[in-house]
Amino acid sequence: MKLRAIVMNTFSGLVRNKIIILFSVGCVCILLLMLSSLLVIRNLRNVQNAEQMQAAVLPMIGSMMALVSGFGSLLAAWSAADALSSEMRSGTILAVMARPVRRWEFLLGKYLGVQLLMLVFVMIMVGLNYLLAWIGGAHIQSAPWELIVYPMVRYAMFSAIGLALVTLMHPILAFCVVLFMSIAAQLVSPGANTTFLPEWLKTGLFYFLPSTNLLSEMRFLTITRATLQAATWSEHALALAYGLDYALVCFLLASWIFHSRSLSRD
Amino acid sequence: MAAAAIEFQGVTKVYKRLFSDEKIAALSDVSFQAAPGEVCAFLGPNGAGKTTSISILMGFFFADSGEIRVLGHPPGDVRAKAQIGFLPENFAFYKYLTAPKLLRLHLALAGRNPAGSEALIADMLKKVKLTGYENLRIGKYSRGMVQRIGIAQALLCDPQLVILDEPTSGLDPAGRREVLQILAGLKAEGKTVFLSSHILPEVEQICDRVVIIDRGKLVRTGRLEDMLAGGNRVEIAADRVPDGFEQSPSGVGATVERGAHGVRILVEAARKRETVETLWAAGCDVTSMNPLRSTLEELFLREVDRQ
Repeated sequence: MKLRAIVMNTFSGLVRNKIIILFSVGCVCILLLMLSSLLVIRNLRNVQNAEQMQAAVLPMIGSMMALVSGFGSLLAAWSAADALSSEMRSGTILAVMARPVRRWEFLLGKYLGVQLLMLVFVMIMVGLNYLLAWIGGAHIQSAPWELIVYPMVRYAMFSAIGLALVTLMHPILAFCVVLFMSIAAQLVSPGANTTFLPEWLKTGLFYFLPSTNLLSEMRFLTITRATLQAATWSEHALALAYGLDYALVCFLLASWIFHSRSLSRD
Repeated sequence: MAAAAIEFQGVTKVYKRLFSDEKIAALSDVSFQAAPGEVCAFLGPNGAGKTTSISILMGFFFADSGEIRVLGHPPGDVRAKAQIGFLPENFAFYKYLTAPKLLRLHLALAGRNPAGSEALIADMLKKVKLTGYENLRIGKYSRGMVQRIGIAQALLCDPQLVILDEPTSGLDPAGRREVLQILAGLKAEGKTVFLSSHILPEVEQICDRVVIIDRGKLVRTGRLEDMLAGGNRVEIAADRVPDGFEQSPSGVGATVERGAHGVRILVEAARKRETVETLWAAGCDVTSMNPLRSTLEELFLREVDRQ
């Protein structure tokens, strides 16, 4: 009952958050721009140029979806950081924490509220994948659960990182740290051409930073390829367990810090 | 005293600035108690440490040292919080909610099923005079209306202990009177009320116990009636005072205040008869004689000035 109330209230607050609304408007604008060009291409397509058109359209859709999905990670981190810090800043946390609510329950409610927002985001994103693929004349061959679960686990990880950081610092600083971490994770991922970093640092950072490549649904999103890279259940389990474990550790860290900090307004 | 509803023993809280050696002592060895069923006024000038103390009581801040018990539990314990109604200073709410939705949220947070609580919510809104504003978002409320909904949420779950930080802040005189009536009602029901306020004449009407702090230190605490007792002195009002009264045996040690409408004489209770007889003998008319009782405001200013 308590947890559900905090989750739903967090979700209600987030969907009214100006930055998140701005983010959504930005995404819709990109989509509309994309849709108009896609529709033009679709109308120009004929039997003679079908393959050429397909070759032009599909990478475009793939990159846009990768961009939206990548932004989702930052949205997850920002939402988590803002969900907690806005309560502290405004002082609304005082009336809530005066109720028989434990600090970890409050934090979990905030965290799950963010996950609810990200679930809505993922569902819209999956819907868009199918819509854009249909407009581009392609088929998505990957299983729908992969397109939902993988980004959700990735977002769970990023929101937990955001939550842990905001218990220690200003939300904008926390967001910048997350941004830096995600860029650094790309730089140290296997196969990245980063010769300027010593090997020991790359290895250390690879184990410490969230590995987003492992949890990218793009591995299974076959818009731009004719064949799907098959993954066994054990591979899925390992990748998802990694993400959930990372999220759990970050959430526990956030709970531990939040448990012993003052609930002051500044 | 029965097992205290609130117990503060030697509480110290020091604020430390990050990356600096600067320390500010918000509370220094503060000790006081409030018994069950009492209305306890927590007084002090701005920056005295009242809100810090209340935050420690609620478990929002942690004391550096000292022992704190709230309804027999450590601060922040959910068993204690389940019996507490709390109104923070400068109450902040989710602006996108309406008053009934906010109260439903607080019922859910208290572990109660909000379904079927419509009558309770309507009753609370009526109590704080917010009936008719059910569809208005709290973001559109005036300062006084926000304070009223704050009081409603504090009283929502029939708490045993009500902690109010500046409950009459932002309210008009009628609103303040209504809050006092609500507090008087809580007192009659045997609830413990712990309130911080700067409007001392109003607090004086309802409180049983007073705790005064200044600059983080306890200045004085005790039962209101004991603290306001005038030290066994009486106040005599007369139409005039004979010349040389102050030098007469009955005038020695007395305080004489001459006004346009008569004279006020403050004397030791043991010498009241002698003083009155002296005045009568001089042909003066004694219009009243009452035990001396200072006001809470006078007491507060005296104690704080002494610091």
